[in-house]
Amino acid sequence: MLAASGGCARDGGDFLAVYAQAERGDVSFVRVFAPNSVVDRKTAGIVVGFWAAVMFTLWAASPFATLPTPKDIWVALSDLWWNQGLGPELFTTIRLITHATLITSLLALLLAYATVVPFFRPLVEGASKLRFLGLTGLVFPLTLLTGGGYALKVALLTFGMASFFVTSMAEIVLEIPRSEFDHMRVLGASEPVIVWEVVVRGTLDRALEVLRQNVAIGWSMITMVEGISRAEGGIGAVILNENKHFKLAEVYAILIVILIVGLAIDYAVGVFRNIVCPHARLGKVVR
Amino acid sequence: MSIPGASVGEVVLAVEGVKLRLGETQILDGVTFDVRDRIRVDAVTGQVVALLGPSGVGKTRLLRIIAGLDPPDAGTVRGVKGESLPAGTVGVVFQDYPLLRHRTIDDNLVVAGRIGGLEREGAEKRAKELLETFGLADRASFYPGQLSGGQRQRAAIAQQLVVPRRFLLLDEPFSGLDPAALEDVSKLIVDVANLDELNTIVVITHDIRAAMSVSDSVYMLGRDHDGEGRIIPGAKIQATYDLVDEGLAWQEGLLENPRFVALEKEIRGRFREL
Repeated sequence: MLAASGGCARDGGDFLAVYAQAERGDVSFVRVFAPNSVVDRKTAGIVVGFWAAVMFTLWAASPFATLPTPKDIWVALSDLWWNQGLGPELFTTIRLITHATLITSLLALLLAYATVVPFFRPLVEGASKLRFLGLTGLVFPLTLLTGGGYALKVALLTFGMASFFVTSMAEIVLEIPRSEFDHMRVLGASEPVIVWEVVVRGTLDRALEVLRQNVAIGWSMITMVEGISRAEGGIGAVILNENKHFKLAEVYAILIVILIVGLAIDYAVGVFRNIVCPHARLGKVVR
Repeated sequence: MSIPGASVGEVVLAVEGVKLRLGETQILDGVTFDVRDRIRVDAVTGQVVALLGPSGVGKTRLLRIIAGLDPPDAGTVRGVKGESLPAGTVGVVFQDYPLLRHRTIDDNLVVAGRIGGLEREGAEKRAKELLETFGLADRASFYPGQLSGGQRQRAAIAQQLVVPRRFLLLDEPFSGLDPAALEDVSKLIVDVANLDELNTIVVITHDIRAAMSVSDSVYMLGRDHDGEGRIIPGAKIQATYDLVDEGLAWQEGLLENPRFVALEKEIRGRFREL
């Protein structure tokens, strides 16, 4: 019994010693596996590279006949880009998401900021609850309202994004600590100045983060929305056409494009947020 | 044992019969005290008043009422010559040293100046002066999130002083400070008070020693007890100490003075009963 406890303590001691070394960064390899440890950029890059290589190898060696090889997808992508006008279709889609995002941001931010006025709170609460409505049932009434086509797609995307945007932003506004308002009051600020400084400017970084999440929601809906009215084209219309003809390599190629563009938009919004709100990075925990 | 050449002048702050009830609980029950202008020959002397009381007694509630942030259920708060003190006329530095986190320290001060009615140029000039005075000139372009606790506190005090104010309320300014920082803050409080004869700083704290070392008067806020020792809700001023009358204000080396130590012991004993 005594020997067992001693062994245990020794093992624990060894582990702690290695862990301490890992924490100090003496053993960079071990550090990657140490819980809660911080790794430098280079190490993080190596870890990302490792996982990317693993995934790519699994993909290339996949026995599933329904999963095209990387080469098949590359050939399909080249054909789509150079011969089938994927570029202009992508532009159409980006224009659509940009248009819908601008309208969503304007509407949602106005509604969220309106929560500072008690009179508007039920309205904002109601708008927020609309997120539980599915888009499918709304296609018909929105078609009648907008006349279909591009306007319908903008309306659907806007509806889909705005209800979530309002929910998140209204919560952020309602959670502003009372002390921030009091701080401005003791400085002698009027209520409109307090709203501008504390509610609008003070939450801008969080608003941009919510925007980032909502653009991602919108982007994930894009193929469905573009499929509703295909006349104007767009990457969603293209993928549905390729689906219809069971061109798997083309479908996967377009999926990869959707993923890459989605990530690029997400990154761009993140960079914009850091430029406009440099203070937002201060509270970020680096791991 | 009063300090030679010291006298008192007009009332600069009068708190009279302030009552506050929150739900079923009486928080403040007739808080009454006044602060008079301290006069010293050949020296500009502002007032520093310590409001002592145990946690949860209602100190911060009283601070909010004095600052004009909350109305009392009864009673009044008046300034020099009986003027009312609406929100914005009394500077307050809350315990968490609030600053606009999305603005740099320099900008925080400029915004305070603009709100207080200064032109942009004037506000920038004043901000620069204050940042130098408070030893923050090299932190002007930093955001609040980049400052240490002590720097943040100084910035928060500086922000309240961009526009001249007679009153400054400090909520727990000594909380969590190391001895060196505590000395710095104590000196800062006295320096700010002495910028103008009518300046009045009310320090709300439960740190008895630190409060006594900077103040000219100490007010103890507490609740009564019934015959069986149970607390009767509703705080009021239970004791007042005039440190100038005691000869224990405005001096170096006070902390080692035996009379200061004896008074501190007395106040500490009284504090336990509040």
